[in-house]
Amino acid sequence: MHRRALIRLFSPAALAMGLILAGCGPARAPAKTGEEQVVRVYSSRHYAADKALYAAFTEATGIKVETTEAGGEELLARLKQEGEASPADLIVTVDAGNLWRLTQEGLLQPHGDAEIDQSVPARFRDPNGMWVGFSKRARVIAYAPARISAAQVASLDDLTAPRLRGKVCARTSSNVYNLSLLASRIERTGPDAALAWARGVAANLRRNPPEGNDTAQLYAVAAGECDVALVNHYYLLRLRASTEARDVAAAAALAMVFPDQAGAGTHINISGAGIARHAKNRDAAVALLRFLVSVRAQGELGALNEEFPIRTDVQPAPALAALGAFREEDVPLTAFGARQAEALALYERAGWR
Amino acid sequence: MALNAARVSGARLSGAILALLVCLPTLAVLAVAISAPGPVKTAFFWDSVAGTGLQLLVGGGGALILGGAAALLVGTCRFPGVGLFSWTLVLPLVAPPYILAYAYSGLGGPGMPVRLEGPLAASLIYALACGPYVYLATRAALVSQSVCALEAARTLGASPLRAVVTVGVPLAWPGLAAGFALAAMEIAADYGAAAHFGAQTITTGVFRAWFAGQNPVGAAQLAALLVVTAGLLLALERRARGARGFAGGSSRWRALNPIALNGLSGWAACGFCALLTVLGAVLPFGYLVDLAVAAGDRIDWAGLVPAAADTLMLGVLGGSVTFTAAGLVALAAARGGRLGQLGLGAASLGYAAPGAVLAVGLLSLYGLLRQAGLVAGLGAGLGLFLLVWAYTARFTAAGAQPVAAGLERVTANMTGAARTLGAGFWARSLRLDVPLAAPSLLAAALIVFSEIVRELPATLILRPFGVETLATRAHALAADEQLAQAAAPALLILAIGVIPIVLLVAGIGRARAGQR
Repeated sequence: MHRRALIRLFSPAALAMGLILAGCGPARAPAKTGEEQVVRVYSSRHYAADKALYAAFTEATGIKVETTEAGGEELLARLKQEGEASPADLIVTVDAGNLWRLTQEGLLQPHGDAEIDQSVPARFRDPNGMWVGFSKRARVIAYAPARISAAQVASLDDLTAPRLRGKVCARTSSNVYNLSLLASRIERTGPDAALAWARGVAANLRRNPPEGNDTAQLYAVAAGECDVALVNHYYLLRLRASTEARDVAAAAALAMVFPDQAGAGTHINISGAGIARHAKNRDAAVALLRFLVSVRAQGELGALNEEFPIRTDVQPAPALAALGAFREEDVPLTAFGARQAEALALYERAGWR
Repeated sequence: MALNAARVSGARLSGAILALLVCLPTLAVLAVAISAPGPVKTAFFWDSVAGTGLQLLVGGGGALILGGAAALLVGTCRFPGVGLFSWTLVLPLVAPPYILAYAYSGLGGPGMPVRLEGPLAASLIYALACGPYVYLATRAALVSQSVCALEAARTLGASPLRAVVTVGVPLAWPGLAAGFALAAMEIAADYGAAAHFGAQTITTGVFRAWFAGQNPVGAAQLAALLVVTAGLLLALERRARGARGFAGGSSRWRALNPIALNGLSGWAACGFCALLTVLGAVLPFGYLVDLAVAAGDRIDWAGLVPAAADTLMLGVLGGSVTFTAAGLVALAAARGGRLGQLGLGAASLGYAAPGAVLAVGLLSLYGLLRQAGLVAGLGAGLGLFLLVWAYTARFTAAGAQPVAAGLERVTANMTGAARTLGAGFWARSLRLDVPLAAPSLLAAALIVFSEIVRELPATLILRPFGVETLATRAHALAADEQLAQAAAPALLILAIGVIPIVLLVAGIGRARAGQR
């Protein structure tokens, strides 16, 4: 009886071990012609919009898209260790800094497709074709018009004003959006001015260490805890599109400005993709990349995800167009990655947690 | 006799080898940490150390007091609602700290009547989320004890409170110590709740150094500090347990005769347990249900079915392997002398390391093997293998500690008697250890399964193409700041976690040793 108890106890474990060992064969071979074609994507974008685009791609080409999602840094670690055995064909990620890192680590290869290069402005792609941007986001100032005027927050420099002491909400400095923002500023103004700016904002933060994501900062402004928040533009657009009572109330209490229109222009970041160095299905990966920057996908992305199209010949979705045209900060995107570590060090010296 | 001796040392050896396999990813992290000639500077270092200290003290201390008090009340007393509370008190176990934090940041967010923010909000989450570890371990320890001492105290005229405090606490000591060690390690390793509420800890420092600072060696050194913390906690736990030699107790077994709490004290006990249930489960789970209802048709329920299936598959697969490893390591520790004890300690270290760090440690081991031409790419099979290994590296402690506590019930006299009767190592394990430690085994199985069902960072990094769990689904939606939609997979994680709880609570009552 006890023997049976023990068998009951351990047999699932033995079965599990067996299953694992049985599954331990080599990685799946690349898809051959005649079989179902497939492209395997490592992505650090978690948007439902991407899934919809991949589905549209499969429908248009018959090529199946398999994805694994994880953070940019985790995917980088995985790619490095997998080396030439990696099953990944296309790497999709947010933030130009991550694309720069992938390039530096030698994890990408040139796409070599003229159509892609023609579709995307030179500023938003790697000169060697290692990566291509496919959507843009602006880092904007959201504010409470009931307590503050747009003119008072027309520039990121205004976030350091003493009258905003304790009234600025922004997420942690180690967040990649904030890192790229400061990296870009270092490139433009030099480290001393960038440090002074970070110090000024850190002194005005409501909470330090900050808590929560961009949406949490928006809720805090709407609830009156802060007067301004530093966020990506689409989080506010999502609140405006939402039908939930809390979001509707928050959206009604919030407005936004594209900062620095009279100065350097608004900080812009991109999502982008590149062909994996050891892609097993290279042609399919290039086809997917071409599709992501196609007129059709660019139009859908804006409508699905409130991001700005990378193409200049595609009109932004209505909610985006309603924000009006704005001037973009003109800093080489490679600086975001090259200066990321420096930016973190400056934030830390400034005491912005 | 010679044959038996060979078997025992074989068991010891296999326990040691297993422990080594389990702690290999942890060792890989330590190897990265010492790959630099000296300490790498990381920002806000002392703040991080102080922050983790605060969380261990307030969050861990809260878990110890709340979980321990609840277990003593439910385990030794009779009061209104005790049958219901015996299982509702376990419920927070199904919600990882990151889900509780996510619910409470809504319940106590900007504009809410009670505003929850800052490090103490994280402590509250930890006390609620980790209280069940103490509760389960303590209850298992109490059930494994003879309660004659408690009855003797009552017979001698001690008040119920006095009997519970002066006799119940010492009886429950091994469980309290084991539960606290688990809770503290879980708290030290947690990233989600700390990051959410802006609490600076060693673990948030690991991710700051690694992700933002591109400083993997500095991150590994911080992670090594967590591993050292785990070692200290385990040493403290062993010392606390060793200092109280009550495990021997009476060997006569009778049905538990609980102390009746009448009148006000009964209702106070009831109120305490009800409050814990409301804060740990009713309020946060209710909030998630509310969110999911509000999100309505934007939730892709059909799309969650495969994620639920993958979650169950990984829970059963990883849970079986981890539970087996935990059981064998604990057994080797109980019967294998110093080597076995060392193995148990080593295998438990990974519990205080963030899952992402262990996963990357495993990845670097894999990279070495791949460069040596021994393995291929991370296909479905190998990815799954590494993932299960990561689960085992991280959660063996969660299973082994309760089992080790339960095995203390088996006295040297019993083992000696069994040996005299000619029972070998495996026969003794089978016919003596397993039945006597049954409640602890059940508790261990539940904890391990729950941990894996909700595990996020290692699953995110190591999962093969196409494998999506409810936790990775909830994470993707939450990372995209679609909080309302994230409520649906979070609720399913809770639903899957409740299944073993029902089984466990049904089992713990029936598994009273000596009744077989």
